[in-house]
Amino acid sequence: MNNDWKSYQPLLVPAIPDLHDISVYEKNNGYQALKKILSDAKTWNPANVINEVKTANIRGRGGAGFNAGLKWSFMPEPDGKPRYLACNGDESEPGTFKDRKIFEFNPHQFIEGAIIAAYAMQIEVIYVYIRGEYRPFVQKLQRAIDQAYEKGYLGKNILKSKFSVEMYTHMGAGAYICGEESSLMESLEGKRGYPRVKPPFPAQRGLWGRPTTINNIETLANVPLVMNHGADWYLAIGPSTHPGPVLYGISGHVNRPGVYEYPAGMNIMTLINEVAGGVRGGKKLKALIPGGSSTPPLRADMLEGVTMDSDSLRQAGSMMGTAGMVVLDEDTDMVELIWRISYFYDHESCGQCTPCRDGTGWLEKTLRKIKDGNGEMRDLDLLLAICYRMEGRTICALADAAAWPVRYSIDRFRDEFEKKCKKTVYAVA
Amino acid sequence: MPEIFIDNKRYEFEEPGKVLQFMLDNGLDLPFFCYHPSLSIPANCRQCMVKAGMPVYDREKGTFEIDENGERVIRFFPKLMTACSLDLADGMVVLTHHTDELVKQAQADNLEFILINHPLDCPICDQAGECPLQILTYKYGPEGSRFEHKKVHKPKAIQLGPRVILDAERCINCTRCVRFTDEISKTHQLTIISRGDKNYPMTAHGQIFDDPYSLNTVDICPVGALTSADFRFKARVWEMNQTPSIDISNGKGCSTWMWTRDNLVMRVTPRFNEAVNDHWMPDAGRLAYRRFNENRISKPQLRLDDAEQVRTSWNNAQLTLLEELEKISAGDILVIGSAHASVEDNYALRTFFSNKGVSEFRFLPHIIPGSGDGYLISDDQAPNTNGVRALGFQETDEKTLIKLIKSTKPKMIVILDDDLLGRTSLTPDHLSGAWTIVFGTNHDETTRTANLVVPVTTAAEHAASYVNVDGRIQRTVPAKETLYTNRRLNLEMSMGRLDHYGTKFDNWVTDANRVDCISAWEFFIRLEHDGDAPKWESSRQIMEEIAGLFSTFRQVSYDRMDEENGIQLKLEQDTEVKPA
Repeated sequence: MNNDWKSYQPLLVPAIPDLHDISVYEKNNGYQALKKILSDAKTWNPANVINEVKTANIRGRGGAGFNAGLKWSFMPEPDGKPRYLACNGDESEPGTFKDRKIFEFNPHQFIEGAIIAAYAMQIEVIYVYIRGEYRPFVQKLQRAIDQAYEKGYLGKNILKSKFSVEMYTHMGAGAYICGEESSLMESLEGKRGYPRVKPPFPAQRGLWGRPTTINNIETLANVPLVMNHGADWYLAIGPSTHPGPVLYGISGHVNRPGVYEYPAGMNIMTLINEVAGGVRGGKKLKALIPGGSSTPPLRADMLEGVTMDSDSLRQAGSMMGTAGMVVLDEDTDMVELIWRISYFYDHESCGQCTPCRDGTGWLEKTLRKIKDGNGEMRDLDLLLAICYRMEGRTICALADAAAWPVRYSIDRFRDEFEKKCKKTVYAVA
Repeated sequence: MPEIFIDNKRYEFEEPGKVLQFMLDNGLDLPFFCYHPSLSIPANCRQCMVKAGMPVYDREKGTFEIDENGERVIRFFPKLMTACSLDLADGMVVLTHHTDELVKQAQADNLEFILINHPLDCPICDQAGECPLQILTYKYGPEGSRFEHKKVHKPKAIQLGPRVILDAERCINCTRCVRFTDEISKTHQLTIISRGDKNYPMTAHGQIFDDPYSLNTVDICPVGALTSADFRFKARVWEMNQTPSIDISNGKGCSTWMWTRDNLVMRVTPRFNEAVNDHWMPDAGRLAYRRFNENRISKPQLRLDDAEQVRTSWNNAQLTLLEELEKISAGDILVIGSAHASVEDNYALRTFFSNKGVSEFRFLPHIIPGSGDGYLISDDQAPNTNGVRALGFQETDEKTLIKLIKSTKPKMIVILDDDLLGRTSLTPDHLSGAWTIVFGTNHDETTRTANLVVPVTTAAEHAASYVNVDGRIQRTVPAKETLYTNRRLNLEMSMGRLDHYGTKFDNWVTDANRVDCISAWEFFIRLEHDGDAPKWESSRQIMEEIAGLFSTFRQVSYDRMDEENGIQLKLEQDTEVKPA
């Protein structure tokens, strides 16, 4: 990965006009992967498709970075009863805005990927869960789905094979937590979006108690690439530990914010300075939130040589998340920023588990106190204590997501927090 | 047999299950709020966290890995696990707050979290004294709180339904109430609204929480968020005595606790009985406690000529009955037993009048078809229909009874505790031709018509057995005193909380609340002055006698009923009286 990123041709959202239209998509090699599989069902039996995807090591793009093919292989053998694929397009993490690009510009690639996934896992029903705020994109996706039905890529006996699959869209009602896979299922079932206790895992008991796999939209859009070009070709894009194209959502204090598609493992400074046009107003970079608001912020001096892939970011002390990068310049008030993030998590905690329900509120209130200039030095220790008490003690990861930004910011920007705190001296009796 | 090690002690388990329930079954302590043995497991309170691990299995050698000390190598789960949702596994190692500092800390932390938004209004909260949050905070909680902000404010004193009031601020969001309406009563009337620390249980907009089982949510609420509209602010738990009893308001006979103070029944709550009602009971049964306190007949009442009823002495009541009996022959007496009265009282009635030569005994079942729900509310409105049947009382419907009265013109009608005039088409005119004696607990139309009213004890005052719709015989224990109860002598009387910890009697007793009544069987032994009289000294003895006479009641005894929480009878057996 040197400078060849400049010659990189986008694969997920290629610059082809009207690609969202099925005829344009078909002309550009669209639905070839599906045709290839269905026309040669002997070579491409479900197990082989799963193996190919597993070999390609598509790391889940929803944040956890789990090998998608491996996830598919957890599905039990079919028993004749329903099983489901749920596609997660809830995309509600602040700083993340990549799936909308796929819905808007290349919905068929996602649809094709979802159909292949359904074929591989012998699933007959696909649900696409999309955040309700994405109404225009849902309409675009719906048009694409209708077209796919018309052309026989969806529905009964796809391309005259024995394979049938239905695809439904479902709009969320604005809860962040419904992007968590198990509460997404609860929400799909028409219930309150409460994350479920695992085990049982979705592959054992998912939607309506039946085996279910949940994949991110971007993850599924990668599947046709693997099937068209083979796992080896895919592995060669970016680092093999985290291969493939990635939609980098760059926002914050940069000159050209936006979604950029490049191979995984891009150098962070290249992304900020060259892809996104550098920090706005020629200011100095202060910090970066690499993968959505829940990932620990990195100080500018920690970014040296760090690339956008799971391993490199873990070493640097953060996470890949959704690759929704928030760039922060030197004028950023970290206390204000972290308070705002905490405010978000306080608002979005579903309220199921005690440490998260009450911890997020406590964090927010304490940070607000510091932000308003009423903080005391001991509040910083308290914040850290609350974070440690929330992490890993809840059903889902929202408590972790809420605690990490606070904990790591205090770790990495402690002087800024201290500056806002009163130097109260308590008399020791 | 599979084994599990809890705090370094080995336990064996047979059935698959969850760690928390296994620990509770084995008498081990672990704090929890959201878990309830009869509901699904949401693991949302996060209070029962333990450290758990599995021994490392060496597949190649086929044995567990052993460390240098000869102990199994344990691989602990990276996070603390909630014991309520953790499956028992062979070889599992569980460390609780007794052996692990992190677990102890986590439990205290969790309570600190719960308490930051919980109003600490225990002094005015109804739940205080029986509040899991209060108890567990004392036992496992932090010493204080570091929370120095304003607590979240939520609506208070919301009337969710006719019987349940919500204080949303106290709610710790365990979702027990929601799960109850979803899984047990299946009315789905409650849900959690809003998010995060602002959420609380609520009905759908404009709906009322009129679930016939709504008060069970009050019982299972681990804090004072849901309170009973009826019991609210009436009594503190520590002032009340708690007596095991059964629900006599319908045929199911749910096991209950009767809570008394000052010789009044303050409330009735369900008592766990796997065979009948699990942890639940219908609201109607709880609110039926009023009949034990209000509108009671105290002292016998006698009608002189056609005048008003007047209070009279027990002696006079007895003499009057004996005089009336002398005037007539056995064939002129119509004896009507009662499904509302106990097995013992019906048996005593039957014994007394068979000795007088009466051979036919009747009773009118109190069944309203369609009023039940197939769960804990039965069509049968009376607690002892099967018991009366098994004693050989002839089931009679009201039309037949009226016909019978018209045709045979009995000179004396004996009615055991049953408001026949109030609940059937029987009118005072039908009874006017006869001298009527009614054994009653509460004033009703029937007692008002009677020539002689004998006040008898209710289920709250006597030890007596009832056979429910499924043929299960269960008994009550006296919870409140009558005028004649001597706690020191009446060994059937329950031992109260205060009896255990303080005096030998309930020091909250107010004499004014004692009712002047006796059990029906006691009235009959007082009537007999000759040597043939039954020599019963207690209802316990009567049951022994019944057990010897009726094959249905064979093997039934108070001790067995107490031990086994009721006994299932085989009702299809013949119920003929054996020749003595």
